[in-house]
Amino acid sequence: MMRRLGSAALALVGALLLVSLFLELVPGDPIEVMLGEQAATVDREAMRRAVGLDKPWYEQTWVFTQQLATGELRTSLPPFQRKVVPQLSAALPNTLILAGASMLVAILIALPLGVAAAARKGTGVDHAAMGVAVAGVALPRFWLGPMLIILFAIKLDWLPVSGAESFRHLILPAVTLGTALAAFLSRITRASMLETMREEFVIVAKAKGLSPQVVLWKHAFRNALLPIVTVLGLEFGALLGGAIVTEKVFAWPGMGTLLLTAIEKRDYNTVRATVLVFTLCYVVVNTLTDVTYALVDPRVRKR
Amino acid sequence: MLRRAALLAILVLAACRPEGPRQGITVVMESSPDSLDDRLALTANGQRLAQLIAPGLITFNDESEVVPALAESFQQLDERTVEFTLRPGLTFHDGTKLTSASVVATFEGLLSGEVKSPKADKFEPIEKVEAVDARTLRFHLKRAYAPILAELSISIVPESRARMPGARAQDRTPIGAGPFRFVSQPDDEHVELAPFDGYYGGKPDISALHVRVVRDETTRVLELLKGRADLVVNATSPAVIPMLEKDPHLKVLSKPGTGYAYLAFNTRSGPTADARVRQAVCHALGVEAIVDFKFHGLATPATGMLPKNHWAYQPTPGCTRDLERTARLLDEAGYPARGKEPRLTLTLRTSTDRFRRSIGLVFKQELAKAGIDVEVRSLEFGTLMNDMRHGNFELAALKWSAVIEPDLLRQVFSSQFAPTKENAFGGLNRGAYKNPEVDRLLADAALSTREERKALYAKAQELIDNDMPYVPLWHESTVAVTSDRLRGFSPSAHGFFTSLAQAHEVRP
Repeated sequence: MMRRLGSAALALVGALLLVSLFLELVPGDPIEVMLGEQAATVDREAMRRAVGLDKPWYEQTWVFTQQLATGELRTSLPPFQRKVVPQLSAALPNTLILAGASMLVAILIALPLGVAAAARKGTGVDHAAMGVAVAGVALPRFWLGPMLIILFAIKLDWLPVSGAESFRHLILPAVTLGTALAAFLSRITRASMLETMREEFVIVAKAKGLSPQVVLWKHAFRNALLPIVTVLGLEFGALLGGAIVTEKVFAWPGMGTLLLTAIEKRDYNTVRATVLVFTLCYVVVNTLTDVTYALVDPRVRKR
Repeated sequence: MLRRAALLAILVLAACRPEGPRQGITVVMESSPDSLDDRLALTANGQRLAQLIAPGLITFNDESEVVPALAESFQQLDERTVEFTLRPGLTFHDGTKLTSASVVATFEGLLSGEVKSPKADKFEPIEKVEAVDARTLRFHLKRAYAPILAELSISIVPESRARMPGARAQDRTPIGAGPFRFVSQPDDEHVELAPFDGYYGGKPDISALHVRVVRDETTRVLELLKGRADLVVNATSPAVIPMLEKDPHLKVLSKPGTGYAYLAFNTRSGPTADARVRQAVCHALGVEAIVDFKFHGLATPATGMLPKNHWAYQPTPGCTRDLERTARLLDEAGYPARGKEPRLTLTLRTSTDRFRRSIGLVFKQELAKAGIDVEVRSLEFGTLMNDMRHGNFELAALKWSAVIEPDLLRQVFSSQFAPTKENAFGGLNRGAYKNPEVDRLLADAALSTREERKALYAKAQELIDNDMPYVPLWHESTVAVTSDRLRGFSPSAHGFFTSLAQAHEVRP
């Protein structure tokens, strides 16, 4: 457990240093964004000192860490600097809701699809299910999103185009973000199910004369879950990355939108803080995945 | 498992239904306003909203002439004094009266440096603002400086907002005397405004103004098609306009704009230091065809920096396609025809924007026909500007977003504003164009009366056209897409939202 916490902390520090270094390398001057191109050099330098951008990047990172720890962190762009933490705490739940909903969408599509494909291996059902899966992986979100909007929001007039005012606003972005994961997950489910169904305990269950449904769901599926849970955990990071594109398409006010705005404005503090939170989410979910193993599979618990 | 899934699916389907009617007018923008305080806002969207909430003494008409806003009239008393008379009975949204004292306080806050405004140095020529009586005030200048009038469009704020610490609040909860008052800004992506009863032009006939940020262009278009956006200004690319025009519920309105697209030459060294090469490039481009093809009529070919309806516009020959002339000029400049080999090779820098890059490729094709080989390099905006400031370019496609005050000519073409190795921020004359006659004309124009200025700018525009430091390309139009729920909105050449004050919301 201690080792796990240690490596999580290491990941956070690494991410923070990398982001700070990249920000240093990115061309474009935050002071210019702030003061406009025609500002006098004197004002430019005064402002640079005032916001601490004259210091080397590692020193800036240290100051950032201290301010974040005390909750005093403000956007790096004066004159009226806003606190970053309230912005993060407004955006993070939105992104987690979106990521959670897409995961749910993925599970609801992938598990039945994967199990059906495995149960009827080599038949038309299998081919159809896996064909859908390939298409799901291949469709880019910036294309799928607008297509879903055209169909469900404009042609059928069932759902809103974009925004985040109600549950109805969540459906299309969740499906857009979840489709690729659903496709990937259904292939994993199928493979894992096929493997489990060759196991001796499944053969024994069949030999005992249990109904095919009971064998499939109770004996095979439960034991096939382990790799599925692993993939879900690992893919959560990819989901957060995908959320940036999806949030842009659906004007969803989450971390992706916050990050994009901050990059546009060269607001270094907010960029650093947002990436740090992304990393934190990733680390937490990976740790949770490990814990879930034990719940799903008693064999892991004993080890 | 399956039963539960089915249950959830039913729940989701239950959420699917057409949306009900709504109140108010929704304005959709492509990026969030950086600030709602006009003294701080540098982005177009920030300034447009700030001006709608808190107008200044003057504003600009489509010819870029200074016209009264909060001021009823103004007159130049002598070359260093301008007198303004305020409209009678002006009121701020918080109920306090707007008087000469408010104007004086606003400018004192800026001049003292107490309000840290990036625009403050534009007011440097002002020595003092004096309140003569409640409705009359005078601006005393340190020296004759004609362009100052155009800077006085900055928002007038109540005295409580003119100085620190009260000034701070203007950023997030602005107060002004404009047609719409601020209600709330729940997050960076939304601003809620309401019509103001006490507006001097009468309460606007719009029940509420919802401002929403939608960053994705496709999504903005889809919101328009769905009927959930009532106004989008300059945030739809020309390619989607024909489709929007076909929708019976939408209207596409346009007006020749003041933005200016150009090709800049580096006149310091290399082939482009030779005016004949610059003229050759100019006559190799078929600007009109590009405008027709790429903008579907939503741009006007330019002959110079000032648009045709600008008060100081001087007609000049500009660039018309003439390949024979190009060939002759290149021969004279020492770049003879070499069969299949190009006469000369140039690098063109442009931004990474897909539309701009595609235009860069059209230039490449056009210039190839004249024997000029062009390598197009599209660079991230920060990198592009960095190259420009350090004189690290031959040819660059860029644009000025709004050319209102013709003093911009001086900042762009006067040799004193050329960035140098020591000072890359030395000014906007990034190609280091130098013509002593142009320097003199533009310097004089900044100190003269309006009629004298017109004559001086006319002469300068002719000289610039001959030297060709820029290839004038086009002026992109202001394009407003409105839904049938919004009547009477007329787009402004500058992309302002001001005419919302006279528009009507169609209620079912």
